[in-house]
Amino acid sequence: MKEVLSLVQRISAHPDSRCWFVSWSPNGALLASCGGDKAIRIWGREGDSWICKTVLQDGHQRTVRKVAWSPCGNYLASASFDATTCIWKKKNNDFESLTVLEGHENEVKCVAWAPSGNLLATCSRDKSVWVWEVDEDEEYECVTVLNSHTQDVKHVAWHPKKELLASASYDNNICIYKEEDDDWECQATLQGHTSTVWSLCFDAAGERMASCSDDRTVKIWKEYPSENGQVTFCSFKGNLSWKCVCTLSGYHGRTVYDVAWCQLTGALATACGDDAVRVFKEDVTASPDEPVFSLVAQATKAHNQDANCVSWNPKEAGLLASCSDNGEIVIWRFKEEELD
Amino acid sequence: MASHFSGVLQLTDLDDFITPSQECVKPVKVEKKQGKSVAKIQIEDDGSYVQVNQDGGKQKLERAKITLNDCLACSGCITSAESVLIAQQSHEELLKVLRNNKTKETEQKIVVVSVSPQSRASLAAHYNLSSSEAGRKLTSFLKGLGVHHVFDTSFSRTFSLLESQREFVERFSRKEQDSKAVPMLTSACPGTYAHKTQQIITTRSPQQMMGSLVKSYFAEQQGLGPQQIYHVAVMPCFDKKLEASRSDFYLSKAETREVDCVITSGEVQKMLEEQNVSLSDVEPAALDTMFSSVCGDEFLSHAGSGSGGYLHHVFTYAAKQLFGEEVKELTYRTLRNKDFQEVRLEKDGAVLLCFASTYGFRNIQNLVQKLKRGKSPYHFVEVMACPSGCLNGGGQVRPSSSQNQKELLQQVEELYKAERPLLPENDTRVAELYESWLRTLGAERAKELLHTQFHAVEKMTNGLTIKW
Repeated sequence: MKEVLSLVQRISAHPDSRCWFVSWSPNGALLASCGGDKAIRIWGREGDSWICKTVLQDGHQRTVRKVAWSPCGNYLASASFDATTCIWKKKNNDFESLTVLEGHENEVKCVAWAPSGNLLATCSRDKSVWVWEVDEDEEYECVTVLNSHTQDVKHVAWHPKKELLASASYDNNICIYKEEDDDWECQATLQGHTSTVWSLCFDAAGERMASCSDDRTVKIWKEYPSENGQVTFCSFKGNLSWKCVCTLSGYHGRTVYDVAWCQLTGALATACGDDAVRVFKEDVTASPDEPVFSLVAQATKAHNQDANCVSWNPKEAGLLASCSDNGEIVIWRFKEEELD
Repeated sequence: MASHFSGVLQLTDLDDFITPSQECVKPVKVEKKQGKSVAKIQIEDDGSYVQVNQDGGKQKLERAKITLNDCLACSGCITSAESVLIAQQSHEELLKVLRNNKTKETEQKIVVVSVSPQSRASLAAHYNLSSSEAGRKLTSFLKGLGVHHVFDTSFSRTFSLLESQREFVERFSRKEQDSKAVPMLTSACPGTYAHKTQQIITTRSPQQMMGSLVKSYFAEQQGLGPQQIYHVAVMPCFDKKLEASRSDFYLSKAETREVDCVITSGEVQKMLEEQNVSLSDVEPAALDTMFSSVCGDEFLSHAGSGSGGYLHHVFTYAAKQLFGEEVKELTYRTLRNKDFQEVRLEKDGAVLLCFASTYGFRNIQNLVQKLKRGKSPYHFVEVMACPSGCLNGGGQVRPSSSQNQKELLQQVEELYKAERPLLPENDTRVAELYESWLRTLGAERAKELLHTQFHAVEKMTNGLTIKW
């Protein structure tokens, strides 16, 4: 048996511009993409192929960098270089712009919904991370502004189980935030990458985090209760600390732009500046404190330009989407196949 | 170097090279001549820039200068020069002036230091004194260095409170005719008007009120020109340095600023340490009562918040003046977090007055967004850039090793509140100055001394520095 990454469909999604990001809806039926053409496209399956169901064109004045679905699937948030984050409400097969979140001083790089559905995080080139709260009247208010990074913040991601937020930055660090008293605080700064950290994600249980970087590695971090007085190479407050337990190096030829942890199978996918999409699997026999990941499948010429994003379908195991600077989206099937 | 300025006023956008940021609000005024011709720019041997027109004619180009003033409104390019900006106003400068007084015969200056009650409380906490004791000992220390007069900005704050009260009632009264009259936002905090604020009060902050008092009234009284006085303010934050350097507070005829230098509570502590002096060991001195609110040896303060009490006083005054209601005690309702509080005056189910205090960037954000959408229910908002207000300013004395910031703040708040409050209307010295001095100057001159102006600055958008 061998694992294979096979191409299902190649889509020219954002013609003549970059496709920056793809994100599956929580029920797995829709794929949202966004790009340099300032548009958001929603893709759905019709028979065996994926077709464009909706185009949201006039929400932003500049590139749309990331999109994120709310946990209930009824809202879509889009982060744009025009310094705003737009919240869209799903109405039948269409989306209408509900509100626009302003406040960041320049390009918004990421938006992410907390699993509770009440909180939203955004981050920007202005070095800050904002947490927003939405109330029953669909009104959004700023909860806090966090200034723990010293450079452009590229990505934010919420812990799947608790109200914990992680951010990745051009300053090579990862910050972990938690609510303390009546404000949010940076609980830990994870140092280890030697260049920009582009993305990060948690595993299904929230026990581990994967980060990827311009230093061409992927790091796996694990949460440990802190030992008294012990100083690890990440600074920490509170009673938990994150340590790097595994580094995947030598696999990626260029910057690793995105990493995605499949919530169903535990497989790890990466999108790389060497145009490839790769899938890693964890060796089940290895110790949990020293996990081992092996490269099990790759599409070395997944795109003919940088791969910017990978996303696993949350309901259909093995269904993976990637997108590229050439404006394309590719749908992949990752599965085990009989060796001939 | 980490930014000392309040979170709201952070100079951001550190880059590998300094370019005019898209955000730079320095309006570059260039005299443009009509014409389609493209001009070349050439650098001469002496480093100056000239524009070479198509006909060969050369025109020397003005150097674009960016000063401390400009950065007040900007989140642009000058992060690296922060250290320069701060150095221009430091305790070193004060010591230089004092040294100069001792050694040179010419250019002697009368040195006046105005201390804020928040700074006094901060130093009191650090040296385990009461706020008044700290004030008396500080007076003694400063005079020992050669300072001539030490005043207290609670005194000038009395003017700010009286003017704010009157300004609010005047604007509230015409809100039916003028939609922009309310809501009114305080402007005593320089960290907040960089923030696209709308209807801010024109009343001067206590610091700049003292500037008027010292460089106009006091100067005249002493027979001095304003430039012969070196006026220092001791403040709880760094943003106040930028306020002092605003061009609106520059006396162009005398070529001097109303407040020459602002130093923080932390910088005063540094001065003490450099002299190997512990404030607690200093013999207390008598207080200069000309511009200080004192009763015997004790300083007097104002009711309300540690950031000046604007909400408290304006609310109480407005309730009385507009609705005939005597408010004995204000009931504060905490909203989203403890830095966002609301006070209402209700009668027979109707809300007559709705006031709020919003401290800290996140709350100011929400306030500004609500104001933009016309969804704000407030008539008046006390806006401060620092979470927990001025007592927690960025320039206050840092906690010692045995204390954390929260404990220290609590101690500072207690020391501050221990000073007895005086109702602004009951301050006889202030009333005297209104009568004997301000009234004689006429309404326009009085307005100049008690109020200021705010200018909307156009943002320049250009295609430079688009980054991913």
